[in-house]
Amino acid sequence: MGSRRFLSFLSVALLVFPAFASAQETGTIQGRVADATGAPVASAQIRVEGTTLGAMTGADGTYRIGGVPAGVHTISTRRVGYAPERATVTASAGGTITQDFTLRAAAVTLNEVVVTGVAAPTTKRQLGNTIETVSGEQVARAPGVSSIDQALQGRVTGAVVSENSGQPGGGISIRLRGTNSILGGAEPLYVIDGVIVDNSSEALVALSGNAPRGNQALSNRMADFDPGDVERIEVLKGAAAAALYGARANNGVIQIFTKRGQAGRPSVAAATDVTWSKTPKRYDLNMHPNAGFQDVAFGGAPAFGAPIQRFDIQDQIFRTGLGTNTRLSISGGNEGTTYYLGGGYQKEEGIVRPTEYDRTNVRANLSQRLSDQFEVGLRGNYINSTNDFIPEGEQTQGVLTSVVFTPTSVNPAFNPNTGRYPYNPLLGANPLDVIENWSAPEKVTRILGGFDLTWRPLTSVSLKYAAGLDDYRREANYFQPPFSTSATFTGSIQNPVQFSRLFNNDLTASHAWTPRQSLGLNSSVGFRFTSDKNETVRAAGANLGPGQTLVGGATQTATQSKTELRTVGWYIEERVNLAERLYLTGGLNWDASSAFGPDERVQMFPRLGLSYVLDRESRGTSGLGSMLSSFRLRAAYGETGGQPPGIYSRFANYENTSFSGRPGLVSSITAGNPNLKPERQREYEGGFDVGFFDERALVEFSYYDKRTNDLVLSIPLPPSSGFSQQFQNIGSLTNKGVELALNTVNLASERFAWRSRFTYSANRSKVAKLVTAADTLLFDYLNAIIVGQPVGVFLGGTYARTPDGQIAYRDFTTGGQTYLLPYRQQDTLASGAIVNSRRIIGDPNPKFVATFGNDFDIGERIQLSVLLDGRFGNDVANFSRRIQELFGAAKVNEREISGDTVNRTFSGNPTGRSLIYEEYIEDGSYVKLREIALQFTLPPGIVSRFGADRASLRLAGRNLKTWTDYSGLDPETNTFSASTVSRGVEFATTPIPKQFIIGLSFNY
Amino acid sequence: MTPIRRIISAARGPRKWVLVAAVAAGAAGCSLELTNPNAPTEETVVSDLDGVLAVAVGMQDQFAQTIDDYMVTNSLVTDEWGTRTASLIAYQSLLTGDNFDDSYLVVLTPWARSYSVIKSANTVLAGADQIGTGSALRAGTVALARLFKAMSYGMLIQQYEQVPIAVTTEGSLPQPRAIVLDTIFALLESARAEIASVSDADLAGFRTRVAGTGFDLRNTIDAMLARYYLIAGRYNDAITAANRVSPTILSVLAYPDPTVNPVQNLAFGLNYVAGLNSFVTQAEAGDLRPAYWLNTTTAGPAGNPVDTALRFLRKYSTRNESFPLYLPDEMKLIKAEAFARTSRPAEALVLINEVRTQTSSPLDEPVAGLPPIVLVTQAEMLAEIARQRRYELYEQGLRWEDTRRFGTALTTTPTLSFLPIPQQECDVNPANPCG
Repeated sequence: MGSRRFLSFLSVALLVFPAFASAQETGTIQGRVADATGAPVASAQIRVEGTTLGAMTGADGTYRIGGVPAGVHTISTRRVGYAPERATVTASAGGTITQDFTLRAAAVTLNEVVVTGVAAPTTKRQLGNTIETVSGEQVARAPGVSSIDQALQGRVTGAVVSENSGQPGGGISIRLRGTNSILGGAEPLYVIDGVIVDNSSEALVALSGNAPRGNQALSNRMADFDPGDVERIEVLKGAAAAALYGARANNGVIQIFTKRGQAGRPSVAAATDVTWSKTPKRYDLNMHPNAGFQDVAFGGAPAFGAPIQRFDIQDQIFRTGLGTNTRLSISGGNEGTTYYLGGGYQKEEGIVRPTEYDRTNVRANLSQRLSDQFEVGLRGNYINSTNDFIPEGEQTQGVLTSVVFTPTSVNPAFNPNTGRYPYNPLLGANPLDVIENWSAPEKVTRILGGFDLTWRPLTSVSLKYAAGLDDYRREANYFQPPFSTSATFTGSIQNPVQFSRLFNNDLTASHAWTPRQSLGLNSSVGFRFTSDKNETVRAAGANLGPGQTLVGGATQTATQSKTELRTVGWYIEERVNLAERLYLTGGLNWDASSAFGPDERVQMFPRLGLSYVLDRESRGTSGLGSMLSSFRLRAAYGETGGQPPGIYSRFANYENTSFSGRPGLVSSITAGNPNLKPERQREYEGGFDVGFFDERALVEFSYYDKRTNDLVLSIPLPPSSGFSQQFQNIGSLTNKGVELALNTVNLASERFAWRSRFTYSANRSKVAKLVTAADTLLFDYLNAIIVGQPVGVFLGGTYARTPDGQIAYRDFTTGGQTYLLPYRQQDTLASGAIVNSRRIIGDPNPKFVATFGNDFDIGERIQLSVLLDGRFGNDVANFSRRIQELFGAAKVNEREISGDTVNRTFSGNPTGRSLIYEEYIEDGSYVKLREIALQFTLPPGIVSRFGADRASLRLAGRNLKTWTDYSGLDPETNTFSASTVSRGVEFATTPIPKQFIIGLSFNY
Repeated sequence: MTPIRRIISAARGPRKWVLVAAVAAGAAGCSLELTNPNAPTEETVVSDLDGVLAVAVGMQDQFAQTIDDYMVTNSLVTDEWGTRTASLIAYQSLLTGDNFDDSYLVVLTPWARSYSVIKSANTVLAGADQIGTGSALRAGTVALARLFKAMSYGMLIQQYEQVPIAVTTEGSLPQPRAIVLDTIFALLESARAEIASVSDADLAGFRTRVAGTGFDLRNTIDAMLARYYLIAGRYNDAITAANRVSPTILSVLAYPDPTVNPVQNLAFGLNYVAGLNSFVTQAEAGDLRPAYWLNTTTAGPAGNPVDTALRFLRKYSTRNESFPLYLPDEMKLIKAEAFARTSRPAEALVLINEVRTQTSSPLDEPVAGLPPIVLVTQAEMLAEIARQRRYELYEQGLRWEDTRRFGTALTTTPTLSFLPIPQQECDVNPANPCG
């Protein structure tokens, strides 16, 4: 786009702005905000209505707003946890007026300011869609949390937040209102301080799932950010809310705001935590004193039933991991300059040896008022982390994988006679050798930078330019020592390095206008440019010499890949406020992306929202009673897009080859599709919010109906074309659901306060269309995409059953003994052919999720919070148990050794029943005691000895208890990490640890 | 002053840079026409001299990497190869003829890969104008593209009864083999004409830049003409073409590192196939050729089905071994068959005995080392030609077609007469080729 075109666009946009209020002389408004007990309320937002002027209160509760045009103004104050207040003041030229506020506690307020999803800040009450907010205080209350996405567990209605692996720094997957793609990603878009940040989870080396299976890493890049820096998080769950983010927002948006300084004396916060992590569970192993079938096959046992020695090596694998997390922040400033400086160091040992994560981060947020009209902000965040992973899951070198695969008669202990750990008779590696001698660290160095400039040429007009950069270098180094897996294995080093640079450039202009007291108009236009560059250089070495730990050796290979995605977006938005009662929001978004050909490049995404509110704020009403204190009805519609898999799919690409030593090119068998366009989602959302008892109880209910069309699928082409397939916009799927949240202030006396939050949400996904109705797309092991079914249902072999539905058994004779074993269901086709049949045997999607959180303030000094987080009705494929039973390592295998001849889990005939998966689909419902924290504020007498203003001691636990019928280690984890479709598969994955935390914090 | 003017005047002042900087930053790098840095696109390739030549090289690689696919069907449905324990069910099904299923990959692969070669050849021919008009490099490259296109159609008709000629995603209907054969002749004759007036010296640039090591363009074109004229029953044309082929030149596909001879990979990397022991036991006493093709000294691998007696391959047992596009003695046998079928028995017998009595060769080709033979009837002669073709032209992808030409004169009946049209072609070709 030429700059001239943009200028003319901007000037036209400005022309449509109505007349501006005239203001010549200005004054100042100042005051103090306190709660009912008179204590100062910090971080309260003060706004001069009808203008873009405003301020935040400092730690002492005071605020000051300069440059207020002379005349009568309504000023309002808002703060999470309190009902809003407003007052009318008259500003005089050159004068200073004082206006104090006293705030009352409230459950959740509709007047909370939100930024995400709209061009200019607004309040929740004005929007037709829901926006979930999580405050920095809530994040800070979450004990043992090392990443921001992890802190959202149990805090966002309608979000399914899963920790994919319990290795420290392990990845988090978030599904907002279901899964919205098949071949594309399903994780939400993350934005930090207005800058879109990278949350890639592409594996540099395969450490859990194998590379062809989605190539997902154990971690995702949100792991880099320190939750301690968070001021506020806003979550947009669907197209109705996220339309502003256009073609990237099908999976919702999570916007994070970091802390800013406030005018006042410097405030210093120091905190340190010590964490002990333990495994919640261990595998129940076969410890029978006599040999079973697999012990004979692999464990060196002479015969079935012979006495043997068994080994449970879990003591050598699991440990109590010790962790520390130390943070220091300084913030403050004066009227012109504010600053926030934060830094932290975290080190966490995993529950599986020798995993460890450490992260150092520093952040500086500066803001400078240049004049009444100009304000400039500068933000920087530097992160350096090292994550010592170990292979697990599908990896044959995996440590837990080995436990699952190896009969317990195999002794993996170091053998001093041979001088090495014995080779594994079944799998790639000896787990103790992997723990001792292998390494798979991943190092990340990341810089996040942001600059913004706000210009308020008039009190009613604000222009904001923001630029942001997210730059990181990620390096993995997977070392497999020579001769570690067999006498012929000569070692391997993989050293891929990834460089990622994401650049954002935003320009927004907004205008607030109040032509009449009961009519407010807010117009915005905006422009956004993003560039997302990625480069990966993979170096690898094999045939290593002893002691070699860098790429080298006799065989070396290197590959390189590079991508760049650019997007340009323009948007306009109009908000209408009728008497603080009826609000209308309408917007249009045009997004263009380099991933699409010229014909489909520019896509338009509309949205519309309607909110009708009756409460104390609404004008023209005497207000509702104290019993039913507020009521809001809302409805919204929006459309968004999703990126296709592979940003170069529109091209007819050629690949390198070589013939007779000459370089050649061959056409890819995947045909380019110049007409590819974004996957397009439309969402209807409706609901109501009702406040009771003077807003001490608030019920929020939403219903949504999403349909994602134009899903990109790989379509077969006639092979006589020389091509095999092409990506086309073909499929569609739907997600419908309800969300309910109940927030209450149960008690609010000075001696005892009790707040609760209960949430419930249920989502139903359904695949509506594939290429043909009969299509089944199978992902990885069992997860399938089938028309009419939820996304990713389990499709697999079942037991043959008798006519009355009982499992049918057949005789099987081995070792002179006849066993009664089940066998696989087979079907006869119309052609007469007999085939092994597959049935839908489970659904990894939860029927509903629910959370229940309670916060208690006992006296002035004790705070207790408890958070329960539950998932219900989801199935988990327990591949760990399946493999254990097949290889005779499971407790249940003791039965067959003891002579039980009727056996569903028989290890003596693995091939006979290896494709029956029905047995291993388990109910994965669980309730976890996600958080429990007890905080003591130390008495001022002790605190003052340290020179501190405030100090507290915290005893806390994370995931201390899980209630579940699932028989494996943890129903929450997923072997395929952040995979879109392959979910609910637990296969030798590190469980989420139980953590005990002791913390101490000081404020100066 | 109107509000708009106020804004404009504010922007004109010392703060002008705000707007300018913002817009400039916004507009910078806004181009959305990005290219793929990882791979060239078709547009780039066909509009560039080196791109077109690279596709010509890639085309040869595609063909060279697909010979095992032709061999799998050809050698398993006839009496050349058997399946080992590691082999796929589809391979065993080709061997035994039992439980054959249209959806097997072995049905799709020869088809799909041939059309990939033809598509590359079409790309080269379409982009030939990028190569200097009238240059020997252009003539050689065009002739090469036509030759590989013709060889691919030729391989296709030996596997499938009818095949489409047009290569398009719009869908094209399969054509009878007579029409496909006419296409092959047109391609080969025009390839021959293209280089007829170009000297070998002028083609030196083509040989170092495009053609593979050990590949001979002129002889291969003539050999293919002879091969397909014979299949079409145009015996005189076959004899004429075969006469032009030099008996002292071998034309091969070479597999230097990092490439691997795919037949070697199939037999020794994947361990799917090995030679049938019957090839050794059914040979005429004293025939040297079984030991050329197969390892007759060490015990063969286990077969699946278990009663399949196997021998390891000897030819194609090393990774980088090249593959001959034709063998010189195939020309003698083509001529012998053409003479025999056109009532010129004396000339046929001479050629048969030349093949039988060869005891040594400077080339890497099999020699029989057998005594001469006297044959009288045409049937006797054809039976002997069929037998000589079996031992001379083992695993050359020709045996299946021989069973169609020689019928009862052969000792084997193929388990399939042709491969069916692949399932994916039936399902998604808009022209509905399967009815």
